[in-house]
Amino acid sequence: VTPAGQRPPALASPAPTPPGLATFVHAWAAAVIGTSYVPMTRTEQVAFLDVQAHRLVRALTTESFDAAVGYHVGTALTAADFTAPEALGRTTALMHERLLTDLGLADDRSRRRLGRLIETLAEGFARAVRDRTLDAQDEMRRAALEARVRIEHALRTSEARVLHAALHDPLTGLSNRTLFADRLSDALTDPPESARIALCFVGLDRFKLINSTFGHAVGDRVLALVADRMRALADEQGCAVARLGADEFGFLATDSTCADDAMKLADRALRRLAEPMRVGGREIPLSASVGVVERPAAGTEPADVMRAADISLHWAKADGRGRCVLFDADRNADDVARYALSAAMPAGLRRDEFTLLYQPLVELSHGRLVGVEALARWHHPVRGLLGAGEFIGLAEDSGLIVALGLRLLEKACRQAVRWQACTPYPPFISVNLAVRQIRNPGLVGQVAAVLDRVGLAPERLQLEITETAVMSIDDESLATLRALGGLGVRLVIDDFGTGYANLSYLCDLPVHGLKLAAPFIDGIDDLDSERARKRRALLETMVSVGHRLGLTVTAEGVETLPQAERLRTIGCDLAQGYLFGRPMPPTGVVLP
Amino acid sequence: MSPSAPVPDGLDIDTERPTAARGYDYLLGGEHNFAADRDMIHKAMALMPDLPMQARENRAFLHRAVSVLAGAGVRQFLDIGSGIPTRGNVHEVAQRVAPDARVVYVDIDPVAVSHGRHLLADDPNTTVIRADVRNPEAILAHPDTRALIDFDQPVGLLMVALLHVVPDTDDPYGIVTRLRAALAPGSYLVVGHGTHDSRPGDMEHLAEISRRTPTLLSTRSRAEVLRFFDGFELIEPGLVWAPLWRPESPDAVPTDPERSINYVGVGVLA
Repeated sequence: VTPAGQRPPALASPAPTPPGLATFVHAWAAAVIGTSYVPMTRTEQVAFLDVQAHRLVRALTTESFDAAVGYHVGTALTAADFTAPEALGRTTALMHERLLTDLGLADDRSRRRLGRLIETLAEGFARAVRDRTLDAQDEMRRAALEARVRIEHALRTSEARVLHAALHDPLTGLSNRTLFADRLSDALTDPPESARIALCFVGLDRFKLINSTFGHAVGDRVLALVADRMRALADEQGCAVARLGADEFGFLATDSTCADDAMKLADRALRRLAEPMRVGGREIPLSASVGVVERPAAGTEPADVMRAADISLHWAKADGRGRCVLFDADRNADDVARYALSAAMPAGLRRDEFTLLYQPLVELSHGRLVGVEALARWHHPVRGLLGAGEFIGLAEDSGLIVALGLRLLEKACRQAVRWQACTPYPPFISVNLAVRQIRNPGLVGQVAAVLDRVGLAPERLQLEITETAVMSIDDESLATLRALGGLGVRLVIDDFGTGYANLSYLCDLPVHGLKLAAPFIDGIDDLDSERARKRRALLETMVSVGHRLGLTVTAEGVETLPQAERLRTIGCDLAQGYLFGRPMPPTGVVLP
Repeated sequence: MSPSAPVPDGLDIDTERPTAARGYDYLLGGEHNFAADRDMIHKAMALMPDLPMQARENRAFLHRAVSVLAGAGVRQFLDIGSGIPTRGNVHEVAQRVAPDARVVYVDIDPVAVSHGRHLLADDPNTTVIRADVRNPEAILAHPDTRALIDFDQPVGLLMVALLHVVPDTDDPYGIVTRLRAALAPGSYLVVGHGTHDSRPGDMEHLAEISRRTPTLLSTRSRAEVLRFFDGFELIEPGLVWAPLWRPESPDAVPTDPERSINYVGVGVLA
């Protein structure tokens, strides 16, 4: 294809412009300009047509005729975007009608040459248009294809991005819990027979404190650094790592051989986290707890093993943090049983399954029953009779102790009133108070209301609080105890000498007596062993301290006559224990 | 378990469905179109046989306007709705006046964009991006746009035969306002906009046909078209029928310029 010349080609010899040519060009421009869009100004278009007209004139008039000139002009027209069929039709018509006339040529040679030129011009035009169309169609197919490829690529990238976002944590870039669970599920699906897996759940200790102390920006930075350390460890150990929650990370090792392997991994994680961490120029104190599970892959359910790791982490935190704890099925079974018991307690309270047994409190000087301690029991519909040790702690944890304690207090007081009707020397009633009850600001009013309701004189009621409870007394609960004392109720310290308390509390608290825990009594009646001598000395001192402070002293866990005799000699006031009676239903209590 | 990815906008490169860009190419006598595009244009031409003339007038106005702007010193152009870049491109016109003129072509038609990129691959002063005018911020923030256009300098913003395919529900005035906010003083807005003022019946039929394309025709009255120039000052001769805007010669002005059914104008940002 000849390139379209918009400028006149260099002429061999300057030929004079035939006078009629301008007329022809004018007519040609009027006929073809506007037939299709040509990106030239009108002046440029006329100039272009003028050049083509000159070529035609030269072909008509030069000595040696070149029919190819018509072909080149046809090609040039299309190259200049005169591609409309009208452009060709009008051009050939004009050439035929008036080119020779305008040029003043009337000879046969010119007519023959014109015929050939029209013929080749039409050929050149048509061929160029066809080529151009075919090329354009190729280009469009390729463009459509490329566009499709580009869009599919964009779609794939976008899909991959969405998928990545759904399975990763944006802050740390680690896998999230979903992906971790997927990987675990994969590892547990048709595993090799001997395969074992290990999960380590790493929980940062008191991470909320970092956020609240240094701000969330620092907290986020810490998490990112922790993630880097965990990722590096996972890479070294060839295991998967994920961020499972706000301050929780998880490792999954699918090549474990034994629990020891898993514990080593957990230990490494702890040591990595213990390395100094600086954020924003300050040292961030960091420790973590790790819950570890290690077991054969076969037969293991993903949800079970995730739960076991969660539980182990919970244990690690509950056991004091900063440690690794391996999952223990027995401990878990205990936890489960305790949980079930705790859950059953509210219904038990509604169904009145909690009752009291009573244990005599005897005055050592006369051997006379002067009081009874009320001891809680639970008639569990399935597990039978449960001692206080099996459920009071759970009730304290759940807070149910407040309602339960009040219910039992009222039961005990009613029983004391019943006994008043049976004997001129009715025993006082001693009832245990838990810390949560002391912390309850309504306690004083409730005790007063119970006493009022059942008609028991306040001095007939003794409330026992353990030395451990005393240790956690604050100003508010101290006021509560003082108010109870103000009601006329007796207060005694239970399990005295077992709680590592600062003894000065004995001067500050409105207490009336001490109860010495059973271990102090044990062995005092042995003959002259060194140990027995020391124990007696200790006991004598404690009784003496109590008496110097104006407190009555009660010994618990008295089982033998020699023990009772020894306590009497020392000057202990009251005693309680199997020697005088086990906890028993009210009808079993022998009144004086 | 894997969430389904959102499908990116305008994934439709179904060559069986006509597009405005390719239909316009055919109207201008181009070959860069598919059977579906030609079919649509044939149907439209059955109602309005002089449709190719209108397209040519629009295109010729664009070229005259670009020449004027380049002559006034504008060196960067943002051509939104540029279509198939054949038959005299903005950069060719601009670079004839100012060889260092830079042009960013924007179109929504993926085939037009793909073809444009291929054609202009060797020209460092031009680029073609695929974007939707309804998201002007994406056009302005596109890294390719930023690479060629310095928005601290005047820009020729070209929106010829574009706004009449943006219905009011897509807030065309808001779009122009948002684009205007990015322009430096001395920038120009070039608008060519179809109207039903001169031939209401014909235009209704045309709008009917456009409902089969992804780009619906929304012609506007003269007052409505004028509103696009809010904030700009129209340069001579104001908002006029396409052939009347600074015609090259008296010969180029038809006796019935309103047949062009396109209002055109150029505004400058003070």
